[in-house]
Amino acid sequence: MSILNDISENLQRGKAKVVKELIQQALDAGEKPETILSEGLLDGMNIIGAKFKEGTVYVPEVLVAARAMNQGAAMLKPYLEEAGVKSIGRACLGTVQGDLHDIGKNLVKMMLEGKGIEVIDLGTDVAPETFIQTAIEQDCQLICLSALLTTTMGVMGEVVKKAEEAGIRDKVKIMIGGAPVDEAFCRQIGADVYTPDAASAADAAKALLTA
Amino acid sequence: MTNRERTYNLLHFKPVDRMPAVHFGYWPELLTEWADQGKIPRELAAGNHDGSEKERILDKIIGWDLNYYRVVGAASTLFPAFEAKVIEELPDGTKRVQNGFGVIERVKPGITSIPSEDDYLLKDREAFEKEYKPRMQFKPERVNLEFFRHFNEKRDPDLPYGLFLGSVLGDIRNICTVKGMSYLIYDEDEDLFADIVDTYAEMQYQCAKAILETGAKFDFAHFWEDICFKNGPLISPDKFEELCAKHYKKRTDLCHQYGIDIVSLDCDGVIEKLVPTWVENGVNTMFPIEVGVWGDQFEPARRRFGDKVLGIGGMDKTALRKDKAAVDAEIERLTRLASLGGFIPCPDHRLMPGSKFELVQYYAEEIKKIRI
Repeated sequence: MSILNDISENLQRGKAKVVKELIQQALDAGEKPETILSEGLLDGMNIIGAKFKEGTVYVPEVLVAARAMNQGAAMLKPYLEEAGVKSIGRACLGTVQGDLHDIGKNLVKMMLEGKGIEVIDLGTDVAPETFIQTAIEQDCQLICLSALLTTTMGVMGEVVKKAEEAGIRDKVKIMIGGAPVDEAFCRQIGADVYTPDAASAADAAKALLTA
Repeated sequence: MTNRERTYNLLHFKPVDRMPAVHFGYWPELLTEWADQGKIPRELAAGNHDGSEKERILDKIIGWDLNYYRVVGAASTLFPAFEAKVIEELPDGTKRVQNGFGVIERVKPGITSIPSEDDYLLKDREAFEKEYKPRMQFKPERVNLEFFRHFNEKRDPDLPYGLFLGSVLGDIRNICTVKGMSYLIYDEDEDLFADIVDTYAEMQYQCAKAILETGAKFDFAHFWEDICFKNGPLISPDKFEELCAKHYKKRTDLCHQYGIDIVSLDCDGVIEKLVPTWVENGVNTMFPIEVGVWGDQFEPARRRFGDKVLGIGGMDKTALRKDKAAVDAEIERLTRLASLGGFIPCPDHRLMPGSKFELVQYYAEEIKKIRI
């Protein structure tokens, strides 16, 4: 249906207001909310994510697309709840203790949501205990850790240890990302997945949740 | 040879007696760490900044020849700045603080990294016209003319000095935040964003012009941007070209008129996709080329632009936290890079906490042994 394409295309261009108008038109025309979500909003975010990963769009395009996605998703939320539509999984996400950087973390959040994953954003400067406590209390299948500083990346290892101590290591997957970390560091601390960018993080998260 | 001559010659593909040991300063925490370890006098740890007297004393203790970031300029940001004030104090000690750019940041006690941006004021044309445009105008009081009139006789003859040209997009990114900049460009008011860039650029051009008209002589001119990160630019290269290219050209043309042919630019992150705009508009020297944390490289730019592009930096500073073997490997790599000509090795950012004092001394000593 062309209106779904229009939603996807306007989302990719970051036109939040137009996206909301189109969603209303689609709802009025009897389109199912889950179809609008998957073939309109998530389709648009998937395309933006893929382009970001291949380096043909940049951070600003992702930010405006994500804003359109969030506003559209908020509009659809009551309809989706009424229809009993559920997310594909739940993740808690944050920048680790001692680190206040949040651009990368926010990009990952937007990309995860663009894959239909529910995200609990713990913000910045998050203590290892908070990640573990949230994962237990909110039944998260993923813990996503971000760091920009070489001085704070070590906290990621502490989160892995705390997860082991709390006996939840086999119930959650731990993903890491950020400027100073890499695959070798991921293996060294015993985390599950390292991804080099936000779009790859979303792909990896979806793969983990749907495996 | 003086360090000024060495720097000039290296950046003009001319011979030198030896490589200068060049650095880019320190994170304050590192100096405190070294003072705690008894490596440096305590009084050198505080108030030690680019070009300070304390820095020169420390240079001698370590064995450095110079910090490249010895630049002087005008008050070329918002003037007057917004009042820095605490807006709100949260129960966990976090403060919401308005900074000089009008951006609301979250500052947490005990954390010295960049604060987290919470909100910003420059969201629409009304805010621009009323609050920002007046602060972006050129005024004579932005430039200390007396200082620059006597600059040539007062400068240290051993060192190269740069004229600070400000930034084309970096400050505006700080004023609007990355998010705000993105919303304006792609959704809300692209014309307004272009007006902001143009207004700010004209003020910075006038500042540079006023300084150069005093007769002050500079070895290089220098931009600051910091508009890239691990995965490349924070803006699309096409948009960057469209918004910014003409402003680099105008300022570098001005420098050329006054005989300055080295124009460097400080941008962290992976810069490769923005290098064409810079090089084609007169910015010819990339700095600090962050190979360590961000994985940037100098060679692609040299392959593409040949001798039109120069480099200062490119030394993986993280080696200075490791061991002698890691430093030796860096020296070997940097020797190859230096042999290309037009390249001066320098740690690829401020030396960070955990850098070993003796290793830094060792690096400074060994780098001087490179011969071109």
